[in-house]
Amino acid sequence: MSFLSIQKLDKRYGTTSIFTGIDCEIARGEFVTLLGPSGCGKSTLLRCIAGLTDVSGGRILVDGQDIVPLPPQKRGIGMVFQSYALFPNMTAAQNVAFGLRMQKVGKTESDKRVVDALAMVELGEFAARYPSQLSGGQCQRVALARSLVTRPRLLLLDEPLSALDARIRKLLREQIRGIQQELGLTTIFVTHDQEEALTMSDRIFLMNAGQIVQSGDAETLYTAPVDAFAAGFIGNYNLLDACVAEALLRRTMTCRIAIRPEAIGFGGDIDAQIKGHSLLGNVIRYRVEARGVELVVDVLNRSAADLHATGTLVGLSIDDSAIREVA
Amino acid sequence: MSTKPAALYHRIVVWALFAMLLLPLLGTFLYSISTSWSATVLPDGLTLKWYIQLWTEPRFLNAFLQSILVCVGALLLATVLILPLLFVVHYHFPKLDGLMNVLILLPFAVPPVVSSVGLLQLYGSGPLAMTGTPWILVGCYFTIALPFMYRAITNNLLAINIRDLMDAAHLLGASTWKAALLVILPNLRKGLVVSLLLSFSFLFAEFVFANLLVGTRYETLQVYLNNMRNSSGHFSSALVISYFFFVLMFTWIANRLNRDRG
Repeated sequence: MSFLSIQKLDKRYGTTSIFTGIDCEIARGEFVTLLGPSGCGKSTLLRCIAGLTDVSGGRILVDGQDIVPLPPQKRGIGMVFQSYALFPNMTAAQNVAFGLRMQKVGKTESDKRVVDALAMVELGEFAARYPSQLSGGQCQRVALARSLVTRPRLLLLDEPLSALDARIRKLLREQIRGIQQELGLTTIFVTHDQEEALTMSDRIFLMNAGQIVQSGDAETLYTAPVDAFAAGFIGNYNLLDACVAEALLRRTMTCRIAIRPEAIGFGGDIDAQIKGHSLLGNVIRYRVEARGVELVVDVLNRSAADLHATGTLVGLSIDDSAIREVA
Repeated sequence: MSTKPAALYHRIVVWALFAMLLLPLLGTFLYSISTSWSATVLPDGLTLKWYIQLWTEPRFLNAFLQSILVCVGALLLATVLILPLLFVVHYHFPKLDGLMNVLILLPFAVPPVVSSVGLLQLYGSGPLAMTGTPWILVGCYFTIALPFMYRAITNNLLAINIRDLMDAAHLLGASTWKAALLVILPNLRKGLVVSLLLSFSFLFAEFVFANLLVGTRYETLQVYLNNMRNSSGHFSSALVISYFFFVLMFTWIANRLNRDRG
């Protein structure tokens, strides 16, 4: 039996529907990501689970209990916000202790749990600092400690890394995932960043226009997109209409296809010309034209000697098993 | 970066302006501590007797106290009404902020003399008759303080992202009342104190409404100053300087608090 069960959940503002008939099941201790573009309804869904936004219909069951009628205070849910939402008038320790204060936990017990929570996010020595004296990454770690210290049964993370720089983001996502696994805490993470979703999640729910279009583990989503949106959103798929694909592959195609850029290699019998390239660290992304079709090709950046200059004629090979037919 | 002659020019302009503003004040101060000063370049002698006379004058002390009472009453009313209003507008009905910004400017849209005549007609008789009492001044001063306080506290609220803070507090188990009291209110303290002090300085100097609505029936400091205009110039000067330092002190405290906010 799943720990969190969302059943036919609807959210409307007046006549505008944000999402309709959302169904999903999440197991205890699972790290699930709601991934999708801005405005797809993922944050609203998260706020509905938290009780910060009313639902228009449907049920949300946590451990078999319908939490829709409960106020946010009674749901036992911890949440981390993109803006950190730390209380500026309180120190890091006071912020973390706030939830325990509301639960009327004794001072000795509260102090111990605050120290433990701050130690867990490696901010023990920053306990007496105010949020204005902390960096963005430190603020978000305090916010994480604050949401964990009350021992919630479900943790919600609403784009917690979006306001941070790339290096801190990477460090923090590893730290969040580590803590989540250590505590075995059921977690829902909202992001529009596919890399975050792919690296952190047990399962990803890909959302578009108020619908979950695909769900599965990172590999399934990456290698087997169900439609053009999924292929376009995850990875940098080459999306080709049937007639274009026929021109490229010289065989009859019945529908649109998606080819991953790394599934195309140099050294085949498809004549092509390099139109440009960009260096992405360990990968070189080429823009090539083959049989009148423009493609993106990713190859490992082994050495500068292997680099193909713009205008160079090359042969391409396409791995047949990597060609996905998409709706 | 400005060149040397330009910097010198700017400095001269600033100092000239400063001197222009300060000279009348210095003259008034000198006059307030002079025994007599009429046909000579400098005063005949220096004395503090005008200040002693002023600060032992019961009518002055009464007017001073009444001014403070009316201002404090108006600001208390403003605080009690504006804080919940701001909270409701910014947390529940953010779209109303635009309407509020128009409403709070209304007290400035009508000239004080015109507004006083209207207030006299409205509150001169009938069940709400309060002309000549301090209550009409308290109500009237509340409307004057409203824009200052509304804007200052709104800026404070916008800086703290009230919605996320309330949501976070709710999820941590706080009721709306507790969240407002423990999380939002402490973060508005400085904005509130600064706007209160500035409004106090402004209201303390108010004359038109006080003179037209209440006059000598509840004499405030400005009305007293007006009534004493034909008495000794030295005495009036001591009064003006005393008033100036009192307001200066309030403004200085407000500025200090405002600076601490960074």
